[in-house]
Amino acid sequence: MKNYGKIFLIASLALLFFWVVPWLYNLITLKPYSTPFTLYSCTLHDFASLDRGEGKEFQFIDTKGNVHGDEAQPMFYAGVLASRGALPDTLEGRAVSLEEIERNAVIATSDPKDINRTLPPVYLLMESVPERLELKDPEDALVSRSRGIDIVKMATNEIRADKTALLRQTLQEQGFAYPAKLFSGKPSHRKAYDEGYLVTDAQDKLYQFKQVNDTVVVRHFPEADGLALKFVMITEFDNHATLGYLVSGDGRLQMLLPDGHVIPTEVSFTPEKEDLLIVGDLFYYTVKTSTDEGERFWALSSSDFSLVDTLSRPYPREGSFPGIRFTSANDGWVKPRLTL
Amino acid sequence: MNKMILYKEWLKTRWILLGIAVVMAALTAYCFLNLTKVVQIRGAELLWEALVTKETVLTEILRYVPVIAGALLALSQWIPEIQRKRLKLTLHLPYSQTGMLAMITAYGLVALTVLFGLQALACAWAMGTWVPAELVARMLRTMAVWYLAGWAGYLFTSALCLEPTWRMRVVVLGVAAGALRLMFLSGVPEAYNGFFPWLLLFVLLSGGLLFSGVARFKEGLQD
Repeated sequence: MKNYGKIFLIASLALLFFWVVPWLYNLITLKPYSTPFTLYSCTLHDFASLDRGEGKEFQFIDTKGNVHGDEAQPMFYAGVLASRGALPDTLEGRAVSLEEIERNAVIATSDPKDINRTLPPVYLLMESVPERLELKDPEDALVSRSRGIDIVKMATNEIRADKTALLRQTLQEQGFAYPAKLFSGKPSHRKAYDEGYLVTDAQDKLYQFKQVNDTVVVRHFPEADGLALKFVMITEFDNHATLGYLVSGDGRLQMLLPDGHVIPTEVSFTPEKEDLLIVGDLFYYTVKTSTDEGERFWALSSSDFSLVDTLSRPYPREGSFPGIRFTSANDGWVKPRLTL
Repeated sequence: MNKMILYKEWLKTRWILLGIAVVMAALTAYCFLNLTKVVQIRGAELLWEALVTKETVLTEILRYVPVIAGALLALSQWIPEIQRKRLKLTLHLPYSQTGMLAMITAYGLVALTVLFGLQALACAWAMGTWVPAELVARMLRTMAVWYLAGWAGYLFTSALCLEPTWRMRVVVLGVAAGALRLMFLSGVPEAYNGFFPWLLLFVLLSGGLLFSGVARFKEGLQD
């Protein structure tokens, strides 16, 4: 028994050593590293990175090293340029206005930490057509269960039997296979309008659940069948350009349009490993994916999402102390993982 | 003999158990009275929203109670034994020393489990009146590691009490600090779901430290 105690303590201390010492080493030695904010410019037709070094003016550098002012990014800094009276009247051969530019400004992000975690199968359900026009806080919630989806009135915690039966009947008619896999929605009144949820079923088919006049309306997107979707994101942007972003089984970013069409892009993205930043404007979408090793950029045309340009930027590799970590920036779980 | 041992443990721990039970009941009641007030003023929808969209299970106020309860119960059981080396007398009773130690430890673990179980049941019942079973289960799965920390607090404090040398006590203290830190590393709900069985195994294995401490004590090792 005496030996057991020694063995247990030695093993525990070894574990502790490989956990705490690398953590301390990395805390002391690792330096923060940041990369410049980069967007595709509709005036330069090149990627332009913000350079705000010490003592430097607010300036942009293109991939050839040329330095430019705010005019290099007239879409992102339209407000600033307009305040100076420097916003061009015409861009890309067409007349533009500040209102049009602002309405078409799009920003979307995805973080692996938001995906790699255990989430409750409960989804707050907003009314998409509110009586008094302004979006209100949800009163009902969808509860996804292996045998079906229930609609529960949150105030009383009781299933709304009629509403649930109608939803289940609709889902059955549309061939929905339980249990639902992916849900994406933004149940917040801090948005202009509500499109409900994008949902995939057990066969990876894509649906939209949207509450209209207290009834959940279900829409199937046949074009997404067979894409083996592993990521869906509802967009709800002011310009209504897209209904959502999808990632197919082969890791390709796909654009879901409001009319149900799905447009594949050249962007490859692994949602459970990479950060995603999409900044779109009237003319171009800049899509950035990043990991610990570097970042990749794609410029897409806003009109048809075709590829315009690409850029990649590796991060410098810093030596880190090998050991054991129990948490990760890429997920919400505590579990041992070796770092080399 | 078994009844005598258990009665002795009861005499040593009844007041501390009562104190722990009162504090746990009071904190649980406080937590849920607060939530009741929120429901009365803003509606149950706010609880749903917090549970679904925020990193909370709404019972975080109870997070450190089990580990403190475990440590206090262990102290109440072992301090009377190690004062003036009364443990020698206990070990000289006509009863298996391993069996005696196992019974005392089991008494503590069972007492804690009953208290933790009652608290978890109360939380599940109260929360279940406002939210569906899925969210109640999420709360319980999140709280499970807090209760495991209670067991760890009990076993490591017992091991510290029974360890006869200061050098080894420092080592046990270091391992205990690391293990407990690990159990409170993340506040994300259900963060420990996959790792929980391994943590449980580690905590159960740490129970062996009590027996090795007593074996070293019997060998005459002491400061």
